[in-house]
Amino acid sequence: MTTVLAWATLSVCVILTAIRIPSAVRGENRMVFVLFALISLDILLSIEGPYMLIDGWLGNFNLANLLLRFMLYGTFLLMGIKVARAFGSAIGERAIRGPIGLAVLVATAVLTAVFFFSMDTRGSSVGLSDLDAGPALELYAALGRLYPGYVAVCLIPGIWSSVRGTGPGLLRAASATLLLGLGLMTVSQLFPLIPDSAEWLRPVINYSAALATALGFGGIWLSKAVASRKVAR
Amino acid sequence: MHGPEASCGKPSIRKWYMSLPSKAFQRWLHGIAPNTSTADVCRFSGVKRTTLAQQLVRGKVAESSLVSISRAFDMNPFDALAQFEAYAALRGTQVPPTDAELVSQISTTDLLRAIIERSDPREGAPALVLAETPHASSVRNWVDAIDDGGLRHRVSIATGIAPQNFSAHLTANRLPPELALATSQAAGVGPAGGLVASGLVTEAEAGWPPGARRDALDRMTEGELALVAGERLQAMGKALRRHEHELDHSNRIWENLG
Repeated sequence: MTTVLAWATLSVCVILTAIRIPSAVRGENRMVFVLFALISLDILLSIEGPYMLIDGWLGNFNLANLLLRFMLYGTFLLMGIKVARAFGSAIGERAIRGPIGLAVLVATAVLTAVFFFSMDTRGSSVGLSDLDAGPALELYAALGRLYPGYVAVCLIPGIWSSVRGTGPGLLRAASATLLLGLGLMTVSQLFPLIPDSAEWLRPVINYSAALATALGFGGIWLSKAVASRKVAR
Repeated sequence: MHGPEASCGKPSIRKWYMSLPSKAFQRWLHGIAPNTSTADVCRFSGVKRTTLAQQLVRGKVAESSLVSISRAFDMNPFDALAQFEAYAALRGTQVPPTDAELVSQISTTDLLRAIIERSDPREGAPALVLAETPHASSVRNWVDAIDDGGLRHRVSIATGIAPQNFSAHLTANRLPPELALATSQAAGVGPAGGLVASGLVTEAEAGWPPGARRDALDRMTEGELALVAGERLQAMGKALRRHEHELDHSNRIWENLG
């Protein structure tokens, strides 16, 4: 079930990235293409098969996981800036690329690396699930959720006011889907509260968040195409 | 101004899109077109067959279907509506519309043209011919024209509609027929105004004398006309700005992410 969801999310992201290729070649909004390529790579690295392969190249000590963390931070920095600007949320943009946002990012990144290298990480395992549990691993995982959650919280108010506005229905629906994705990322901060018996919930929430976010972006493009077709007519 | 049912009615939970009962509608249809099949009725009137069938099955026929069908059979839709129990108020001698109601049904552009016509008459310029009802903000303008300040509250008590839902109708420039009727009753004006404002029937079908709007316009002083037009422009400007703002917002999203 989780594997299906993971691969489905990956295919959606890869398809959306491919759709962006022509406009990226034309030079329109290349950042959005880069963003989607990054999201696709993030998801690829979080699936067991590709993870084991890539981590094998990197020396089998889960460096791929650290790489994934840093890529995720980059993805969220880029997405945060783009989305905050798109939704006209000056406060959100400042909170992400201003001094506070950058401080949160740098602190998270440094601590992530510190905790990673403080652990014995030998033996590839996706999500580090085979490593010995301990406070360092817990903190490392929490940091990985923290920055995406921070960005999500910064973006939610701006998107929410668009969803409640009176813009085109499709655009509002797409914004609501994006909002759902970011909302799920915020929820993922509460992962430590999920009992072990319901552990399957974590990947479900993670992939649903990624899927909803990707579909939200796709919906925004679609609404643009529909709107420009209406104008042309 | 206060109708008895408006001031002492308990809030009821009636639905304002409840429309006409199927049975009564079919009886009426048989009365005007006894030998015509439903398919032909739809063909003559332009009502979609599936739509009408669905309305009949659900037991609720939309007033707009009745209006289209009666027009197709050369029957006054206003009189046709009056045959239904919910529209009994439309029977008998009609209370004529007030001047304020008549002027509310003149489009903003026509009001502005009237100002120019009066203040700057030009030889040989074509005389102003008012556009047909309804206009782009006819519902809100009608409600404003008959509102003594407490109308929305009374409508809300009489019908159970939440004030914000009532406002939403005004903003969308629509008014379900039964709500239109209840609104005119709560305001103590003739029952036809809301049906004209919402575009269900024309002013002629509602029995407004020909040229009544034009006469009401001519009775206004230049000052009154300027003030009404000014209010209209103000409201129109606000609505346009809101729309432009939303448009900017959407374009910004598309520019950054599309």
